[in-house]
Amino acid sequence: MTIRMTRLGRTLAVAAAIGVAAAAAAQARDIVWARYGDIDTLDPHRATSTLSLQTWSLIYDTLLATDATGAPVSNLAKSWTSNDAGTEYTFVLQDGVKCHDGTPLDADDVKYTVERAFDDESPSVTQASWGPITNVEVIDPHTVKLTLESPFVALVPFLADSFSSIICDSNKDADSFGTSTAIGSGPWKLESWTKGDKIVLKKNPDYVNFGKLAENKGAPYMDGLVISVVPEPQARLAALKTGEVDIAEPPFDDVPALKESGELDIVVAENTGQNVFWEFAVHRPPFDDERARLAVGHATDAAMAIELIYGDLSIPEACPVSRGVFGNDQDFCLQYRPNYDPEKAKALLAELGYGPDKPLETTMIVWTGGNRQKLAEIFQAQLAEVGIKADIEIMDIGTMNARVRQENETPTGKGSMDMMTWSWYDPDILYALWHSPGAYRGYTSPELDAMLEKTRVLTDPDERKAAVQDVFKVLLEKGIHIPLYTPGWEWVFAVRPEVEGFKVAPFVYPIFNDVTIGES
Amino acid sequence: MWRFLGGRIAMGALTIFVTTVAVTLLIHLVPGDPVQIMYAQSQGTTPEQLEEIRRNLGLDQPIHIQYLAYVGKLLHGDLGYTIRGHQPVLDVIMQRLPNTIALAVAAMIVAIAIGLPIGFFAAYKRGTAVDTGLMVVAITGVSIPHFWLGLILLFFFAVELGWLPVSGTGPLNIVLPAVTLGLSNAAIVARMTRSSMIDVMRQDFVRTAEAKGLPKRVVLSRHVLRAGLVPVITMMGLQFAYMMGGAIVVENIFAWNGVGRMAVEAIFQRDYPVIQGFILTFAVVVVCVSILLDAVYALVDPRIRRA
Repeated sequence: MTIRMTRLGRTLAVAAAIGVAAAAAAQARDIVWARYGDIDTLDPHRATSTLSLQTWSLIYDTLLATDATGAPVSNLAKSWTSNDAGTEYTFVLQDGVKCHDGTPLDADDVKYTVERAFDDESPSVTQASWGPITNVEVIDPHTVKLTLESPFVALVPFLADSFSSIICDSNKDADSFGTSTAIGSGPWKLESWTKGDKIVLKKNPDYVNFGKLAENKGAPYMDGLVISVVPEPQARLAALKTGEVDIAEPPFDDVPALKESGELDIVVAENTGQNVFWEFAVHRPPFDDERARLAVGHATDAAMAIELIYGDLSIPEACPVSRGVFGNDQDFCLQYRPNYDPEKAKALLAELGYGPDKPLETTMIVWTGGNRQKLAEIFQAQLAEVGIKADIEIMDIGTMNARVRQENETPTGKGSMDMMTWSWYDPDILYALWHSPGAYRGYTSPELDAMLEKTRVLTDPDERKAAVQDVFKVLLEKGIHIPLYTPGWEWVFAVRPEVEGFKVAPFVYPIFNDVTIGES
Repeated sequence: MWRFLGGRIAMGALTIFVTTVAVTLLIHLVPGDPVQIMYAQSQGTTPEQLEEIRRNLGLDQPIHIQYLAYVGKLLHGDLGYTIRGHQPVLDVIMQRLPNTIALAVAAMIVAIAIGLPIGFFAAYKRGTAVDTGLMVVAITGVSIPHFWLGLILLFFFAVELGWLPVSGTGPLNIVLPAVTLGLSNAAIVARMTRSSMIDVMRQDFVRTAEAKGLPKRVVLSRHVLRAGLVPVITMMGLQFAYMMGGAIVVENIFAWNGVGRMAVEAIFQRDYPVIQGFILTFAVVVVCVSILLDAVYALVDPRIRRA
């Protein structure tokens, strides 16, 4: 027995010694950014998660970029024009842009990317967002023309989003594209990706910043960027404190203390396009009647609830598409959004025959995480004030999406409402949600369908804005989509004090080009 | 001996088969399908295209057809592709499986190194205050949740003392998760060792050995320990399997890149091929460990071979 233990002890000691040596060898200073999960793939045509999109935005570049307000500006394309009908878009590319493998980035790469997205065998998972593109024509090495079957104005903001990352055509021959190969022209080059663990990026020395929201016009200042996976919020905080990690999403409840102590800086993303809103099962009572939906709207004091749970990290949102997205206008939306007015809510409920003895009963479906369960409890209390008895059900997003659709397809039963969460860079999101048949088979009408179709084809910005706002008006007045707040998820970053220059572009794209790290 | 092992292997194969069928059926009972979840919260595809994607993935087929197609590919050694990111499931699992096994082995070493001597010593001192004291410690150990213990260790050794890294996968990173997982299992090993040793100490052959005038040390190490270890080994086998699956919480706290964490993510994303691949791998590992244990068991105790 004694002998066995000693041998074991020796083995452990040797193992520990090897461990120390290995750890000491890897001590280069890179920016370390920790997130709760991993990407799905490095192939921009094969995933939709925010984690993946943020990573693509570092490796690849896009034809257009967004300014601080979320509006599209020139980037890899120094200019773009469209015909009057809005069916042809011509892009003129910047000179001298190089892919990570040294080949020039030209019109052929754009053609390769678009045609790949429309591949018959395996089209991009977000193919529909490109619009009805029928042809890509290389006019000269620096000019490329996209032809559309019908006008689709959401194409322009789409080309500023990482879904439309320009993939260099030298990836064509790599079987490992998406897993260990990802040749782009963005500020960071892929070094390695260990699934579930980390993505290691090195700076692209040839990078020129044409339109991204960084002051630095050239390559990033730091040599490397490591994106690591740390699922547990408390562990991320611990790693931030020890300096193992430079930037990460902190646990919410620790944010006030961190701000107070000044131990870590807090950076909050703005113009995220994230919209958290009430919606309802509209094909059965009580929410088939718009008065019941509006009563919920009038009973909800979003500003108070957010203040309690998120402090100043999040703000009330009045429009069905959030700040940063085309058409958003708080003043316009506030005219039509059911404002906080408990008396009005009670009056509406009384009209419907509900009262103190007969509360309106409903389930309230909420996505788990991000302190939303606490927020839901406050809303529950607010609804109870006017005589709405809501039972909270918390679930993961997958279950929630299935459940909400199921509720809309069930003609009888208790009322059902949910705190839904969506984000997109264009009001075209409303088409997906509310044009027949509707993402969740919820409210639709021929009039609304016609209005939504109009928002897709109007090329004049002012005309389109008016059309988009017409849609807002219907959604708000009828209590179909009652906005609550923005942003709603993965938008708070804790940053070590010696890290300078970290910023977050609209739609939650972190920018590391300006980052420098001083002495800690 | 060989007949005995052959029987165990056949049972093992059956276990694996039943497990995969059960998982395929159960996972489809959970609401939400992977395509819907992949497009949740971001717009980009028309309902018709979603249907097309489902068709391409074979998700429009009835469950039994999906299962048969899966088994058909499995027989060719093909575990399919992940729905998220379209990567070979085998690669995705094999990248992480060594990490999980390393963690389970390291935790087992911790559990044995601490649990066995404590249990043995408590049995030797049975009925005394030392015994009671040690068992109180053990019960406390079993009762501490991994989550809490992990965070305490993390804040003490990584944040306060700065001796060990907080998170990640590497040779030095294994210490904290292995200790977290090992400590609670050490308590189980200690309790099991103690009761097993006490049973053996009461038996006739031990009294005979003592009566022969053998030194106490020889009686304990050669007679008591050897006989008393048999049930402890069985239990450790089960614990090992448990640690591979139950390591999920610990993997999460310390960002240890194991299959448990991968499986949890896959369940949330309804990535069926990954879930099926995980369960299959897991079932194979558990069955192999238990067959191996039976073999060890049979070697230690000749009566089992003949049974």
